[in-house]
Amino acid sequence: MDAIEHPPIFRLPGIPDHVTYTWLVMVILAAVAFVASRNVQLVPRGLQNFLEVVLEQFQQMIDDVMGVAGRRFLPLLATLGLFILTGNLMSLVPGLAGPTGNLNTTGACALVVFLAYHWIGVRKQGLLPYLKHFAGPVPLALKPLMFVIEIISHLARPLSLTLRLFGNMVGGHILLAVIFLLMGLDGLIGWALSGSVVGAVVGGIGGVVTIAFTVGFLYPLKILVAFLQAFIFVMLTMLYISVAIEDSEHHSEQHH
Amino acid sequence: MRRSLILGGLSVFWLPGLAIAAEGAPATGGWIAPFAVIAAGIGMAIAAGLCGLGQGRAVASAVDAMARQPGAAARIQTAMIIGLALIESLAIYTLVIALILLFVKGIQFS
Repeated sequence: MDAIEHPPIFRLPGIPDHVTYTWLVMVILAAVAFVASRNVQLVPRGLQNFLEVVLEQFQQMIDDVMGVAGRRFLPLLATLGLFILTGNLMSLVPGLAGPTGNLNTTGACALVVFLAYHWIGVRKQGLLPYLKHFAGPVPLALKPLMFVIEIISHLARPLSLTLRLFGNMVGGHILLAVIFLLMGLDGLIGWALSGSVVGAVVGGIGGVVTIAFTVGFLYPLKILVAFLQAFIFVMLTMLYISVAIEDSEHHSEQHH
Repeated sequence: MRRSLILGGLSVFWLPGLAIAAEGAPATGGWIAPFAVIAAGIGMAIAAGLCGLGQGRAVASAVDAMARQPGAAARIQTAMIIGLALIESLAIYTLVIALILLFVKGIQFS
């Protein structure tokens, strides 16, 4: 992918780009949180007010999906959501690289989710009841088969979380890179500036249309996808946690 | 008619290999690379089309349900978005396979 995507402007020597920009996301989030909570007031104003609104959105989502009992997982879920959202939006800024456009970053997030929901389930139910709930409500002879199938489906969860976020981000990046390649000095705009009359007409009109298409359609779409993927990552994490802490009596058909 | 279709289809797969064989082994890629590009394109096209069909059915049912019960629209929308993400992830798997076929050096240079 290095062939068509331009490398980011700011690079630390010897350190991969996604690590550099993960640090940048961490610095941004920590700085915003520090500035907002430096002088906490009962009636919030400005940045504190904004962050409270954001966190109340997360809390509302948790209440809807997991019930009030799920509020203790707000730090995990909101951190994941804000990190992924900031990373997704950062990859849209020209000259910066998005940390979520790399398989390692998304894999790390999914691994955190995988370990966290198993840990939460084992803490809530104890190790043996938690493992028993893998076997499901089937006759005894089928339990080993169900157990193996459940293990495979649990292993598929972090894989699908990883690949969904990575694929959406990288697909969008490649789309934008190809459009920019067609639009730029090697493509339509270069043709328009080349001096020939046909080139000036066709390349000029095509360049304007392509710029309008990019600014008017592709960028809003990418921003929507950035929010949507962060939302879906958090939502699936919530579902996994709420299935893991569910009592083993009434979970007969909703554990996917 | 059918035979010509089959021949045409087969020639699509043969021609890159023949072209490579006629040129001799080039420095920048082996004989697998053109097939990998064709496989990536066709696979992504099939995956995108079928993913569109599936998501269309899901959205149609969800909009139908929202029109019948506007009170439950928020919950239906949440379920719809989760379902769309799960459907879309299947096409994303194909995208990842296509990216592997297009960009992994072991395939492109073997």
